[in-house]
Amino acid sequence: MTVDGQLPRWEVFKQDASSKAHAAVGSVHAADAEHALLMARSVFARRPSAVSLWLAPRWAVHEFTREQLAEALATPGTQLAAPMRYRVFIKSSDRRSMAAYEHRGEVVASGTSAALRAATPDELPLGMWLVEDAAVIASAPADAEAWFAPASDKRYKQQSEYAVSVKRHPATREGT
Amino acid sequence: MTEVQAAQRAAAFEARIAAGEKIEAGDWMPDEYRRQLIRMIGQHAHSEYVGMLPEGAWIDAAPTLRRKLILVAKVQDEAGHGQYLYHAAETLGATRAEMLDALLEGRAKYSSVFNYPTLTWADVGMIGWLVDGAAIKNQLMLAQCSYGPYSRAMVRICAEETFHHLQGREMILTYASGTPHQRAMAQDALDRWWWPALMMLGPHDADSPNSPQLKAWRVKTKSNDEVRQEFLDEHAPELLAAGLTIPDDDLRFDEETRHWRHGSIDWAEFWRVVKGDGPCNAERLAARRAAHDDGRWVREALAAHAARASQRASE
Repeated sequence: MTVDGQLPRWEVFKQDASSKAHAAVGSVHAADAEHALLMARSVFARRPSAVSLWLAPRWAVHEFTREQLAEALATPGTQLAAPMRYRVFIKSSDRRSMAAYEHRGEVVASGTSAALRAATPDELPLGMWLVEDAAVIASAPADAEAWFAPASDKRYKQQSEYAVSVKRHPATREGT
Repeated sequence: MTEVQAAQRAAAFEARIAAGEKIEAGDWMPDEYRRQLIRMIGQHAHSEYVGMLPEGAWIDAAPTLRRKLILVAKVQDEAGHGQYLYHAAETLGATRAEMLDALLEGRAKYSSVFNYPTLTWADVGMIGWLVDGAAIKNQLMLAQCSYGPYSRAMVRICAEETFHHLQGREMILTYASGTPHQRAMAQDALDRWWWPALMMLGPHDADSPNSPQLKAWRVKTKSNDEVRQEFLDEHAPELLAAGLTIPDDDLRFDEETRHWRHGSIDWAEFWRVVKGDGPCNAERLAARRAAHDDGRWVREALAAHAARASQRASE
């Protein structure tokens, strides 16, 4: 890294409610784990729907589109790597949304190739990310209240605060 | 790869788009699809980033605490929206360093509208109502984009930006029904922002050479003129209903098509401003460069801290 180049990239996964899965929302650039968490909170948790953040450095995130997944599954894998735990994120829909890759569980496997075989459901998903579990950092549960609750009080950020209607002026010809 | 294979690949790509699938970062895509997206998303990111400046200048002078909180939150959102978009461009292989260098060196374009000055407090309201109003129309269209990361950034931005539009509309409606001085401020702001807001949605379709291909790839799902029409149909009647005068003698409601029609836009002005010769281009870039230079010590400190921590960890 050079100072005037860019700091390392971290992928950010946000959980909107304890009943929901963490989902990939974007990335931040940061010097270290602590800086990355603070950046992720500022960038992705300015609105109420956040209870937890996971971050992983870019090198620990292995992305496969459906095309790449099909290709990888058709190629015999090597088993040279030591077993490792991966967090599995799956894209299951192309519908309009803020996030597509959602956390579906974990697998332990020797390398990404074996992990893909272990994690791929019967029906080929639209995409899969494998995130090396050992590299993941998370917001502390004890910080959740201080970090995420204040956004709920900032009601001026919500459109319901601006229910102002315009009275039709007789001079306007629309709707005549 | 043979020519036949290349043609099959391109056909498969276009079939995916026709079927409504989202293209993801690792998928094969035509070079031109990637190039156009990096160009568009980069310009869009720079617009959010530079867009902090015209309104940010008024934070100190906000007339009430509520208005100050709103404005701080709005400017903070623009910073965040720039981050979402730089991320989307990165998924295509662009780097933040390259994109920021291009902006700071004056090689990158950003929305023409941010090169106009904010002369009075009412401009803050008018920017929210008109500039964010126009931006949201464009962004709702881009939320349908065939490229997944851009589409998802747009959905997130639209959800957050709706309040930017509504707070501006609320402010201007308040002034438009206020004292004579307040009404004059609202009218003056409209006089200066109306045309820049219409222009920011880009050249007419006939003068927009990239549009047909971008539409075929579903990068854009509507043309500049279609989006401008949506903006006009929503905003013209509301501004008039508020008792304001739109500075266009040729503005009229076309009974036949049920659409509003505007007079001719001064495209010479648009191109002058886009190409660097607007009222505030030099000031905006100077402000971004100063922010970049003033932040250098923070980046150096962060890097030194991280380097020392990792050295300690390895000892």
